[in-house]
Amino acid sequence: MSLQYLKDAVAAGDREKLIRYVRLHFGDGNEEVGRKEIDKAWSEALKPLLDVPPTDREFILETIRTRDAATLAHLYFHLHFYFVQRSGEWIHDGSL
Amino acid sequence: MTEASSGSGSGRGQLRPGLWDTVNERYPGSMIDKMDFVPLAPVRKPLSECRLVFVSTSGVQPKGTMPFDTVHPVGDYSFRRVPSSARPEDLEIHQIKYPTMGANRDINVIFPIERLRELADEGVIGGLTENFYTFIGYNMDPERLERTLAAEIATAVSEEGADIALAAPA
Repeated sequence: MSLQYLKDAVAAGDREKLIRYVRLHFGDGNEEVGRKEIDKAWSEALKPLLDVPPTDREFILETIRTRDAATLAHLYFHLHFYFVQRSGEWIHDGSL
Repeated sequence: MTEASSGSGSGRGQLRPGLWDTVNERYPGSMIDKMDFVPLAPVRKPLSECRLVFVSTSGVQPKGTMPFDTVHPVGDYSFRRVPSSARPEDLEIHQIKYPTMGANRDINVIFPIERLRELADEGVIGGLTENFYTFIGYNMDPERLERTLAAEIATAVSEEGADIALAAPA
C-alpha cells in the first residue's frame, strides 16, 4: 500500500484499511498470518506479567511522558517484534 | 530498456503478466508507475578500466553501525557505506524480508564482496570504489526514496568516481 493510500485512509477514518496494512506488515504480506502474529505478540506480552513481578513503572511513565508520539509508536512496533522473537516462533525469513 | 521492462501498468506490457495486479491486490496502491523514460548510460571504456560500485538492497552493513530499521511500518530511507575492503566477518545483515540463513554462512551469496575483489585483482574490472552502498528494500514511499536515499547514493557514487554500477536487489 502506498503512503498516500494510508494517508487517505487516515483522512477518511478508515481504520480497517490501516489495520489491514499493519497485519500485512507483520505477516510478510499475508493478512491472516499478520493477525496471528499480533495475537502472538500480545499473548507473549501477557506471560511475564502473570506473577506480577516488579516492573520499572518509573521508566514506563517517564518514557510515555517525555517522548513524542512518533517515537512511542516506533517503540510499539519494536515491541511487537521483540515479543514475537521472544516467543520462539519466528515466521520471518530474515532477522531484525 | 524495453517497454516490457519499463512499464508497470497492466496494459503497457510487462515481463510477468498479471504480476502488478497480484501485488496490487495484496498491497493496494503500492506499485510505482514510473512514466519517465530513464535511458541506460553507455559504458564509455573497457570493463578492465572501469571502477565498479556495488549498490545493494541486502541490508548488509558494517558491524557497529546503526542497524537498519526493519520494524518501521513505512520503511528505512537511510543507507550504509560498506568499505569494499571489508572482511565478511566485519559485516552483518539486518533485514527480515528475505531468507538470510545462507547469507549468514557466506555473505557473498547476497553481497559478493570477495568475488568482486577477485574480479578486480584479476583485472576483469579496473577496480572498486572505496565504498559500496546498501539499504533495505522495504520502503513504502517511493517518492521519498527517490528524493532522499536514491539521490544521496547517486551523489556519493559519483563522488567516488564510479564508472559502472552493479545494482542488485535482495
